[in-house]
Amino acid sequence: MASQQNSGQLSFRARVPVFDANIGVGHCHDRPSPFADVTGLRAEMQRHGVERGLIYHLQGETLSAIEGNEALRAWLGDGLVPQWVAGPSADSLAQLRALHAAGEVSSVRLHNTEASRAPFADWIYGELLAWLAAERIPLWISLADTPVAEVMETLRRFPDLQAVLLGAHYVHSLALRPLLRALPCASMELSRFENLGGIESLIGEFGVERFLYGSYYPRYAMGPMLFYLHHLAIDDDALAALTAGNLERILGGTT
Amino acid sequence: MIIDFHGHVGRWDSLDMVDDPAEMLRSMDAVGIDKSCVFNIFHPEGKPGNDQTAAFVARHPDRFIGFAYVCPTCPNTVRPELERAIDELGFRAIKIYPPYTPFPLDDSAWDPIYEFAAERGLAVIAHTGGEPTAAPAQFGRAAARFPNARFVAGHSGNIEPYRSQAIDAAQRLPNYFLETCSTFRTPGVIEELVAKAGADRVLFGSDMPLMDPRPQLGKIITAAIDDDAKRLILGENARGLLGL
Repeated sequence: MASQQNSGQLSFRARVPVFDANIGVGHCHDRPSPFADVTGLRAEMQRHGVERGLIYHLQGETLSAIEGNEALRAWLGDGLVPQWVAGPSADSLAQLRALHAAGEVSSVRLHNTEASRAPFADWIYGELLAWLAAERIPLWISLADTPVAEVMETLRRFPDLQAVLLGAHYVHSLALRPLLRALPCASMELSRFENLGGIESLIGEFGVERFLYGSYYPRYAMGPMLFYLHHLAIDDDALAALTAGNLERILGGTT
Repeated sequence: MIIDFHGHVGRWDSLDMVDDPAEMLRSMDAVGIDKSCVFNIFHPEGKPGNDQTAAFVARHPDRFIGFAYVCPTCPNTVRPELERAIDELGFRAIKIYPPYTPFPLDDSAWDPIYEFAAERGLAVIAHTGGEPTAAPAQFGRAAARFPNARFVAGHSGNIEPYRSQAIDAAQRLPNYFLETCSTFRTPGVIEELVAKAGADRVLFGSDMPLMDPRPQLGKIITAAIDDDAKRLILGENARGLLGL
């Protein structure tokens, strides 16, 4: 068989609603963004049929969660939902508490723990994690930037915390299933997971509700994983759950 | 016709890589990939891996194309194994993997492979990237010495500054090509390869079964390049290189 793409289908646009769970904005020294402002980002989203995006500021990942969160405000608007970054300091937690008190927090993202050399351990992040669990605020954690063993050991101590694990890669193949079994409140974002047939296999074992689309833009291009999800052996209801519905549920309908 | 120029035979269990042809064909069919080129890089003497590749291809000869693998760490087997793989097993090109060796791609240890490819007018695809022996610039220096062979930079160097080395070599050398598979799906890479090297120098590859071919094909389909460029990348260039 084959040749579906050959019969003229050389372009792609999403056919279901898409809410990207993982978009970085702003520049980093080692990774300048393709776009300096929101206009270019919106054009890229529209090119692929991405209607909404959960956005964080790249400066918050490695330099200052506090200043990154302040810089994020310039990017907010229709369809762009803020995700605030959390660092290990008391000042960072104070900023998040204030944002939450103002009703502005639907999710929080852990900063790059490897870059900061602050291991993801409860003796550093315990107060933050206890607060997030108590307030029912979900936490995004990148497996690209945090050792998987630390994620396992620390999240086990906070079983009520809703976590979204970002950037799982084929190098995490041996760890993923034990991680998802041990952390029933954790979901997995799919931006870097390219194992052959791997997404269908994980959905078959854990259920489609545990997985969601994120592009990890601009670290990764926005379109390829979205194209991939549209060519999984799943129906459109499951596809829509991956591309938008599961994220909406995790954010608690606040978007 | 869509041709995937970069695929593997063999198991790499720690990374969950299993060469299950049924699983590979399911993913290929889901996005219309007609043929995939495969090779086994796990045996330096060549023969055991090439025999595995031949057996794999024989199960679905209309869907898979075998490439020969040899390694200069076993220099005495290079030429006879290439002759066997091309003439008896029917393989269409050669794969080399420099990270497994102490020899940079422009070292004379690789010359018997390049000489064979030049004699037969074959393509040689090498893993290229940031490893000390795998720099695209090294591969370019070899390509300049063997103009009758075709040199395909696997992964197009993967990341900067190696990607720019690969593009520079393709700009200078008519026998240097750029293959697209990479776990680094950096925005704008396909557009950059086409703009700077030309669509006639770019080949779609996936690294299947280490990676699923669907997102790697998605890199080409969702790139901001025209349809003629996509057709070249997805199959027409590979047909030319492989004589199909």
